[in-house]
Amino acid sequence: MLEFLGRFHPVLVHLPIGILLIALLMQYLSTKEKYAGLSEAVTISLLIGMLSAFASCITGYLLSLSGEYDRSAISWHMWMGFGVAIVSALLYVRRINNRRDKIYKIMSGALVLLIIITGHLGGNLTHGADYLTSALEGKADAKFKRKPIPDVQQAMAYNDLVQPILAEKCFSCHGPTKQKGKLRMDQQELLMKGGKDGVVIKPGNTDESEIIKRVLLPREDEHHMSPKEKPQLTQKEITVIKWWIGNGAPFDKKVNQLPQADSIKPVLLSFQNAEGGSSEEGSATIADKDIPAEQVTKADEKTIDALRKAGAIVIPVAQNSNYLQVNFLNDTVITPEKLQLIVQLKKQLVSLKLSNTNTNDAALDAIAQCTSLIKLFLDHTLITDKDLSKLNNLSKLRYLNLVGTAVTANGIKPLAQLKQLKRIYLYQTKVDKTLWAELQKQFPSAKLDSGGYIVPSFPSDTSLVQRPIVQ
Amino acid sequence: MGMGGLALAALFGCNSKSTATAPIAFDPAHPLLPKLPQFPGKAKSVIYMHMAGAPSQLELFDYKPELMKMDGQECPPSLLAGKKFAFIRGVPKMLGPQAKFAQHGESRLWISENLPHFSTIADEVTIIKSMTTDQFNHAPAQLLMHTGTPRLGRPSIGSWVTYGLGSENQNLPGFVVLTSGGRFPDAGKSVWGSGFLPSVYQGVQCRSEGDPVLFIEDPHGMDRDLRKASIDAINKVNEESYKEFNDPEILSRISQYEMAYNMQISVPEVMNINNEPQYIHDMYGTQPGKACFANNVLLARKLVEKGVRFVQLFDWGWDSHGTDSSTAIDVGFINKCRQVDKAKTALILDLKQRGLLDETLVIWGGEFGRTPMMENREGKQNPFKGRDHHTEAFSIWMAGGGIKKGHSYGETDEIGYSAVTNKVEPFDVQATILNQLGFDHEQFTYPFQGRPFRLTDVKGRVLTDIVG
Repeated sequence: MLEFLGRFHPVLVHLPIGILLIALLMQYLSTKEKYAGLSEAVTISLLIGMLSAFASCITGYLLSLSGEYDRSAISWHMWMGFGVAIVSALLYVRRINNRRDKIYKIMSGALVLLIIITGHLGGNLTHGADYLTSALEGKADAKFKRKPIPDVQQAMAYNDLVQPILAEKCFSCHGPTKQKGKLRMDQQELLMKGGKDGVVIKPGNTDESEIIKRVLLPREDEHHMSPKEKPQLTQKEITVIKWWIGNGAPFDKKVNQLPQADSIKPVLLSFQNAEGGSSEEGSATIADKDIPAEQVTKADEKTIDALRKAGAIVIPVAQNSNYLQVNFLNDTVITPEKLQLIVQLKKQLVSLKLSNTNTNDAALDAIAQCTSLIKLFLDHTLITDKDLSKLNNLSKLRYLNLVGTAVTANGIKPLAQLKQLKRIYLYQTKVDKTLWAELQKQFPSAKLDSGGYIVPSFPSDTSLVQRPIVQ
Repeated sequence: MGMGGLALAALFGCNSKSTATAPIAFDPAHPLLPKLPQFPGKAKSVIYMHMAGAPSQLELFDYKPELMKMDGQECPPSLLAGKKFAFIRGVPKMLGPQAKFAQHGESRLWISENLPHFSTIADEVTIIKSMTTDQFNHAPAQLLMHTGTPRLGRPSIGSWVTYGLGSENQNLPGFVVLTSGGRFPDAGKSVWGSGFLPSVYQGVQCRSEGDPVLFIEDPHGMDRDLRKASIDAINKVNEESYKEFNDPEILSRISQYEMAYNMQISVPEVMNINNEPQYIHDMYGTQPGKACFANNVLLARKLVEKGVRFVQLFDWGWDSHGTDSSTAIDVGFINKCRQVDKAKTALILDLKQRGLLDETLVIWGGEFGRTPMMENREGKQNPFKGRDHHTEAFSIWMAGGGIKKGHSYGETDEIGYSAVTNKVEPFDVQATILNQLGFDHEQFTYPFQGRPFRLTDVKGRVLTDIVG
């Protein structure tokens, strides 16, 4: 109940500020002849303002008992708040006793100052001490500008990755000025100590760590963090915090001193940022291995247009990306001219789909020049073993589709040099089934898919159950 | 920040989010041209198989031996207090699992004997066992699943996706719908409607027997040249009026005439499964000449191969109440499983061997689940074993398109009554589908009636745990 009353403080405080200031303003104006009539209103305004100041003091005190605010930060605000109430009371008493002397004027001036300072300190408590000043730097969120991480592997796991996230999304309620739930996260000991419900980080145990549990609750859940109306943690940020806790939540380790599963690497890489910046950029983008991490210059628009006119579909992989994918879904005739245009896009081209076209061995010279290629579809084309080894030039290739071509094991083998290759699709090719196991051995890191899967026909597939089967 | 602060923020334009939600550019002359996702997506196309009527999770994926122990006992009052069911009244009896379960694949996923084929591809899929919904009638639940609201009028997932990404093949619709099972889903055509999005993004319903699209053939006495000449003439008139009025809808109409003309050739070609080799027919278990699920699944693969963005399949007949043998959990339900098991298994394997599974997101599921209790319609025991509609737990599976292989997500309680860990709402599935295609569901909006709308409304979280 007391806490409930305390929560009226933020709304009540506006009354003494407004009413007392207008009372003092009217008091000043009433000394002028034109506004002399206002004098009558000053007394009652002072009274109401004084009463609301006392109400604010009481609710404010109750609110401070909740323990969500830092005692030392509150102290000045509290005493000056009491000051407002007491000075306004003295002022009122002097006024009704008609003692409008010099002291009365000094107290009036002091009251204005007190109100302004108390109000400012109160604002700092709710919005953070740098709320006002950060706006001067141009942007309200400028304080969250993260420091640059030129090489994420050399960065400190906590100081450079985890703490900036906590600073941006958590400290405003669990930091120096406020400790909601008695949790303060900006100092290492206090962070590990936890809040009123106990420890929030259990090193090595992500699932049992309250901080992770809270973040993963549905946004509508009242225990969800951060509160649903506040900026939320992004998936990448959650992943990084989980990774840090899972590895024992160390404060003194660099990123490269902690184990990294394949899945975490692209996420970590996405924190690498030479210029610093806030998390808002590309918040949902989970780094994709199908797209190179480094940037590329924009492809020549004229070449793209020419290729489109020639029948190809040319699309950037995403908004704000210069990497391109090209396919010939609506066109089955590949000419040397079209290949020339494709080669001109070699820097940007990461996926090329020539499926179901008349692409033949002669085209491989051109294709082999497209060294940025990560995905290459040559399925249902006229490609044979003859020049397949030219593809060894494509050092970034991860995906190669040769379904429905005349290639054999001999043609494939040289491609074992492509270290990045992860999948080769060889359904309906001329690869000898008996050589399959041996061929796969040549490709330790790539999975060769022979296809030809059979879904057997069971009698039950085509018969009907008529009555319940007795188990 | 108070109201004043909000107003200030709006004045100074420092609300950075608002600029990020600029609507997707939409060219009325070429509404289906391929467009860019917000970030590189894993999946390029989607095949969504919806089992209309809602299949029983307790006889497919959610193995509950504890429920078997309660078989035939009266339902404990704690499970009934304050609950509302579509048909169950009074105190029903519990119904144990009506199928045997086993663990399959290296992933050891539990799958019932009703799916002998599907159980061989356990290592390719993610099964979500903790689905929940808040609608216990078919039509609203289907609408919720596909449009993000139980009420009419919002665009379906396929419409959102074609609006956002366009389609790679300009000679085919970007969003194709195929139905089987003899009836449409209860929610009718609204589950593939375009709502307030431009109507060019609505699902094009195709038929797997007869003309794939009604009235696609030229009428008797009109050859293709004459058709071309008349379309050219119509478009010429339309171009004139565009010059006069500058209404972009006219451009849209011109492009649709041209697309319709192209489709007359390309649609019958791609919609014809007869030119597929016999071993493919055997693999899917098709029934050429009939309208059946297996034919539709094979068509779906062909369409995706041709660059169609979103293929939506509906199969009707999964409403296993036990009011007659066709809806009995131990008769009709088994037969429905037999109708789809082979084809859906073949689809995954066929996409895989063609190297297309990585970029094709496949989803299979219903609109809600079924009760662990035996249905007692109006308080009387139904003549056959059946289960009533259930909102608190059901299962779906997803595969391909960057979804984890051989993974089980979420759990229900020990009798399968409620999802207890990692609860998933339809919005979460929608958010995940959009994520796999390269869209942040919170940033992917369309302005309508003065505010931006999104598929997931105010909810939805991407199921990052099932994304591999």
